Amino acid sequence: MNEEFDEQLRRALRPVDPGEAFTARVLARISPEPRNLRVRWRRAAWIPAALAASALLAVVGLHEWQQRQKEAGLAARTQVLEALRVTSQKLDLAYRLINTSSRPASDRDSGA
Amino acid sequence: MGKLVGTLLVVSLVSLPVFAAAPPLGQLALPSLESLEPQAKDSVSISLDASLLAVAARFLDSGQPEDRAVKEIIAGLQGVYVRSFTFDHAFVYPANAIDSLRKQLHTACWQSIMSVRKGNEDSTVDIFICQLQQKARGLAIIAVEPRELTIVNIVGAIDLDKLHRLEGHFGIPRLPEAK
Repeated sequence: MNEEFDEQLRRALRPVDPGEAFTARVLARISPEPRNLRVRWRRAAWIPAALAASALLAVVGLHEWQQRQKEAGLAARTQVLEALRVTSQKLDLAYRLINTSSRPASDRDSGA
Repeated sequence: MGKLVGTLLVVSLVSLPVFAAAPPLGQLALPSLESLEPQAKDSVSISLDASLLAVAARFLDSGQPEDRAVKEIIAGLQGVYVRSFTFDHAFVYPANAIDSLRKQLHTACWQSIMSVRKGNEDSTVDIFICQLQQKARGLAIIAVEPRELTIVNIVGAIDLDKLHRLEGHFGIPRLPEAK
């Protein structure tokens, strides 16, 4: 009984050649690596593009910031010069008023 | 103990902005003179704090004598504030605004160094200086002319000698010797 069962099992589990076509189909299904790599590379291609765009944005941003700093600096410089001009004008006015009011008195003091 | 620390922390945090916002000695709260602007032919409003002065200094060329002199003058300053109005005709003198400004000039550090009134020209110029420990901390000028009103407040260590050196540039006149 056992021997018969063993024989049946041996026959059922005997090695069977699947044939070249089947092997080829299986290999084609389990190792599509070259195509996958191409897809991955294609998907990863945006990374250098994004890096380049970021670098470009950073350069443009830096240039813009420098330009604004320069404009603000030149405006501040103009304001400083204008403030000094106004200050000097008013100091000048004060001295002019002092001179014009003190001159006759000094003339009188000199007794000339 | 924990409550005390907490209270101190809260008090210090609340008072921090108050101390941070305190204006430097020599700085005046300039009155709002916006009502004069529509009447004025020309108006100048300049407000330069320490950071803007530092920015301006970077754009002054030390190779040029005038720029170098200006750079030296503003190096010790913490602020420059100017309000100036020029009119085509006699203007309504903003008495309240000027009075509020003059009140600030009665505080400890300020002293009048020059006050000129010329009746026939209807012009007055008052110059005040704020001094602490014999160092100038601020300058204020109030000039009222028939068709012009100017207020100047320069905050910081004003070096009169350096102003001397600017004589001839920007029309800056010779100042009396500092004693």
